[in-house]
Amino acid sequence: MGIAVVDSTLFTSVDPVVLAGSMCGACGAHVFPAMDSCPTCSSLDVTRVGLPTEGTLWSWTTQHFAPKPPFRTDEFAPFSIGYVDLGPVIVEGWLVGKTQWTIGEQVNLVLAKAWTHEGAPVFTFGFEAVT
Amino acid sequence: MSVNTNDIFIVGAARTEFGRFDGEDNELAETAVRGALADCGLAWSDIEFAVGGTNGETKPDNLVSRLGLTGLPFVTVKNGCATGAVALMTARNGLIAEDLDVACVVGYDNHARGAFNVSPARYGLGDWYGATGMMVTTSYFALKIARYLHEHGISQRTLGYASAKAFDYAQEHPYAWRRKPVSVDEAMDADMINDPLTRFMFCAPDAGAVSLVLARGSKAYDLCETPIRLASVALRGRRPGSFEVFSPWLSPGDRTSPSIDAAKAAFDLAGITPADVQVAQLQDTDSGAEVIHLGETGLVAHGEQEAAYRNGEFEIDGRLPLNTDGGLLANGEPVGASGLRQVHEIVRQLQGRADGKQVPGAPRIGFTHVYGAPGISACTVLINEGARP
Repeated sequence: MGIAVVDSTLFTSVDPVVLAGSMCGACGAHVFPAMDSCPTCSSLDVTRVGLPTEGTLWSWTTQHFAPKPPFRTDEFAPFSIGYVDLGPVIVEGWLVGKTQWTIGEQVNLVLAKAWTHEGAPVFTFGFEAVT
Repeated sequence: MSVNTNDIFIVGAARTEFGRFDGEDNELAETAVRGALADCGLAWSDIEFAVGGTNGETKPDNLVSRLGLTGLPFVTVKNGCATGAVALMTARNGLIAEDLDVACVVGYDNHARGAFNVSPARYGLGDWYGATGMMVTTSYFALKIARYLHEHGISQRTLGYASAKAFDYAQEHPYAWRRKPVSVDEAMDADMINDPLTRFMFCAPDAGAVSLVLARGSKAYDLCETPIRLASVALRGRRPGSFEVFSPWLSPGDRTSPSIDAAKAAFDLAGITPADVQVAQLQDTDSGAEVIHLGETGLVAHGEQEAAYRNGEFEIDGRLPLNTDGGLLANGEPVGASGLRQVHEIVRQLQGRADGKQVPGAPRIGFTHVYGAPGISACTVLINEGARP
């Protein structure tokens, strides 16, 4: 059995992990998750592409209270989320491994356990600091 | 000056106290409408056109069952945090397009406690976005101000100045919700909600209603000694490069903002510049939003906010008294009422009958700004044109 993820359409590959975005053939804009039209120029000429897996931390926060449902977790602990500048697009995601960050840090795409379903881990994507 | 037929004035204004409310939503709305009518000596049967806004489940146009079945056209609007301003704009448009004299606007809401709980599907997002804890408005505000502080070299303490100012104004305002003063240190040291924003740096959803009566042309001076002219109202949406709530991605180019566009349009339409504004209301859903919106509207240069707070520029006797009723931070946000609360406060200030602290020196020109999901902003310019020409 493969790796269970929160939404398989978010990835072009789970192992190694690569996020699936889309690129507009008309204006070049990249978006995430992949869409079938371009929100920048409204063109329908879009292609699903794998996004870069390394980037720079663009902004961050740590979530100190448990969000309401539909948030799902095995046991709540404060967690960080941020925006990571991947070059063609800035992507929002979990920041894993610590809860205090610095804008401009180099980070890498990883899989992170979101919750447990029927005894097996379900993964989402996140970014961790390059050590 | 002579009164232009298409000039629109606010001739009556009333609001309820904001906070927790156990009754029905429509009860709140009715109280505000009856207050606004009394403020200008009109009866419901005098109103020719009405607009109501709420973000809740009730139907504003059904208010006629409480106010009177006069047969008038009653339009309902629902535009998130911009609902109040859109209601005002719709009423103005109705008066001019339908060649009418008097309209009534009402905005209200009665929200449950805690942060808004939003379904990902409503924003065209997959379930994963909510399930992984990213569909949270407070984290958006935090991510946005964290970046803004970084880009413009502004200290975190500036967020504390904004909070302390709001609660300082509110303690003298009879309709504000949170009237207990909070010092800068208390705001900074409070529980962290989302870095860098603490508990005292967020507004909370609550209950309240505001109503305005509008009149067109010289009719305004028959109804009110000091009518306030709605010099402009402008609504704008997002363009590529804006940073909005519930965005799994952002474009890496120059930042744009619907607030920048709406403010510029409102100033241009009114024929004034930001430097002319003598009293202002900005969307302060959180302390950071106020700091950002000062820059985006052009009221203060980007990066100059910290010094402006330190120098007392936003206090009642400062250069630009700001959110003089305590803003959203102290009033909370009944979404449908919030934008009209701003207009209510500016109208009162320009008429010299503020409910709380009064701006000294008879200010003539006021400005309001709302901003919200999914990336919309509306601004107004309000002017006291003096006695009947």
